[in-house]
Amino acid sequence: MATNTTTDNPIRELNSPALERGPLWIRDLRKASLESFNTTPVPPRGLHLWRYTDPEKFLLKNDVIDTAFGEHFDQAEEVELKHFEDGTLAGLVIDNGGRQIDVRLSGDLAQMGVVVMPLSEAIESHRELVEKHLYQTVNNTTGKFEAMNGALWNDGIFVYIPDNKTVERPIHLLREAGRANSAAFPRLLVVVGQNAEVTLVDEYAGGAPSTEDGFAYCNAVVELIGGQDSRTRYISLQRQGQGTISYLTHRARIAKGATMLTVPFAFGGSISKQNFGVNLNGEGANSKMVGLLFGTGRQHFDNHTMHHHSVGQTFSDIDFKVVLRDKARSAYTGLIRIDHSAKTCEAYQENRNLLLNRGTRAETIPELEILNEDVSCSHGATVGPLDEMEVFYLMARGIAREEAVRMIVSGYVRSTITMAPEDLQERLSAVIADRLGDL
Amino acid sequence: MSDKKPLLSFNDVHVEVEGKEVVRGVTLTINAGETHAIMGPNGSGKSSLSQALMGHPSYAITRGEAFLKGESILDMDPDERSRAGLFLAFQYPLAIPGVTVANFMRSALQSHRGKDADMSDFRKLFKAEMNALGIDHVFATRYLNEGFSGGEKKRIEILQMAMLQPSVAILDETDSGLDIDALKTVAEGINRFHNDNNGILLVTHYQRLLNYVKPDYVHVMKAGHLVKSGGPELALELEDRGYDWVVGEEENQKVEV
Ligand SMILES: Nc1ncnc2c1ncn2[C@@H]1O[C@H](COP(=O)(O)OP(=O)(O)O)[C@@H](O)[C@H]1O
Ligand SMILES: [Mg+2]
Repeated sequence: MATNTTTDNPIRELNSPALERGPLWIRDLRKASLESFNTTPVPPRGLHLWRYTDPEKFLLKNDVIDTAFGEHFDQAEEVELKHFEDGTLAGLVIDNGGRQIDVRLSGDLAQMGVVVMPLSEAIESHRELVEKHLYQTVNNTTGKFEAMNGALWNDGIFVYIPDNKTVERPIHLLREAGRANSAAFPRLLVVVGQNAEVTLVDEYAGGAPSTEDGFAYCNAVVELIGGQDSRTRYISLQRQGQGTISYLTHRARIAKGATMLTVPFAFGGSISKQNFGVNLNGEGANSKMVGLLFGTGRQHFDNHTMHHHSVGQTFSDIDFKVVLRDKARSAYTGLIRIDHSAKTCEAYQENRNLLLNRGTRAETIPELEILNEDVSCSHGATVGPLDEMEVFYLMARGIAREEAVRMIVSGYVRSTITMAPEDLQERLSAVIADRLGDL
Repeated sequence: MSDKKPLLSFNDVHVEVEGKEVVRGVTLTINAGETHAIMGPNGSGKSSLSQALMGHPSYAITRGEAFLKGESILDMDPDERSRAGLFLAFQYPLAIPGVTVANFMRSALQSHRGKDADMSDFRKLFKAEMNALGIDHVFATRYLNEGFSGGEKKRIEILQMAMLQPSVAILDETDSGLDIDALKTVAEGINRFHNDNNGILLVTHYQRLLNYVKPDYVHVMKAGHLVKSGGPELALELEDRGYDWVVGEEENQKVEV
């Protein structure tokens, strides 16, 4: 294999100071990641998960700089700061492209032993935990772009919930990508102890608002570990500007008796490719994913979900909804993998795609790798326009067509929005209302 | 006739669905204060006529005219027809996931009153009408028709009529799926609504509802035609003898040929 398959090597030209960050063992991991990035060819278009999106897009253009942040520009910050101050949130982290990470944590959490801190600090103060889990579920072997993040993350966020602790109020992570011609590599590691409980909102904001001045890049990695009997709710909210090229890989591994609710909201980006995966790794583990993607303009989404049952008597369920208007596109690939030894599992998957006008396009690709017969499994997919009968019913009550469409679509997404913590629902509804504003 | 005020009148209406003509020239006038009933066997075109009058996109009026308070409705969209005062209680009301009954009702009433109209009386009005129809208040926050029983759906349809106060209400099989108590409550709702300024068109297969809501006129529909008209006694006759004995003039002619 060629040692350098990319003709001009964007990482080296970037000469990121991130490569030199951290203690030696971290720098070694970064170097291994860089090596892996450089030696792994760009995935060919025919390859699994790359049929719908050109991988070249996620390589940084030569003129991309490693931007310094420090500028606070997203209005979500104001809202969430208020939510922290009035006690709605238990914690708030503002992550400016990994350059500056501000942590706010309510006093009782610190007392419980809950840890929320920049990854760079946790590497020193919680080395054992970090070393055990960092790069475990997402690493060089995951893929070229995961290796890219593994080399270039500047700083990330570390969350730890000790055994038997319940964090009642949500912890909100607000990550702001940079403007045009910048690149950000957010990274998150969450360890939820045995019988512990937490709700995390992981919000990706900022980025380039349009492609006018060039693209902003964001390549994020999320690793979640759910201990035995733990209960985790993880909400991912992608609402970066429409000039952002966004890539995200999420992997969670949950142990015996653990439950994990993953709620991805995909609204932002020019090109957004996201991969959410949960590995059910202990009897009685239960994973539910409820996703919503809403594309407008010329947005291009490529989403992948995976439920991997590596142990028997595990349960998974996916409901991934897509709404597209204008010329937006979406490809959804949903994989259910049940190992040979994982008997009596249940796995369900549903993907519904609502196309609000001609000119939109949605692909839905269910993938089942079920290696034993003793399972209960179903999947379903629909792609189609609004139900004109529903529209007629509302219009027959005097409601104008545009308003009827708005009501039906808002209703359609409602069951997903209610999966988010209450304080976030208002903002999510506002995003939907905005996207339906000028039908 | 000069003292009668026509609210809904249609003339030689033909309706096509899926390329098939299912209503073949129907003429009727409903004046203010009147209750008419169209009865007929299944498949005779009653629902098709009702849906077409409301402006359902699949039921096209291919011939004839239809007027609401003197104004042609054929070029109006369904929402315009509704705001002009036409109402259709659906035979099969649709479920709209995620949209609560209260929100739906509020939007509908707001549309009727105008975008900036005062809605401060909404809650009170809504509650009063729910009470009158024996609808539990929990229905206000449930999603429209989602998981509702047949009877609950029909009550909610009548609730909408009561809230919107249309000039003409077409009630398509509103009695179906109702037990006797629900039937009485719904009938009371219809009677409470009815006054000298509005008109009702009851569309029904059975005459059950007509025991509680007295029609002034009864029309029999068969194979897309109104084949016979009469007073309330016609409904009782139909109840006794079924529909087979009713033969329209057109069919008579066919028989002769
Ligand atoms: N959406 C439709 N598509 C195709 N045929 C229809 C549709 N709706 C009604 N029809 C046909 O039109 C005729 C009249 O039906 P309908 O109006 O429902 O009768 P009724 O209400 O009197 O029972 C029937 O032959 C029925 O099959
Ligand atoms: Mg019918």
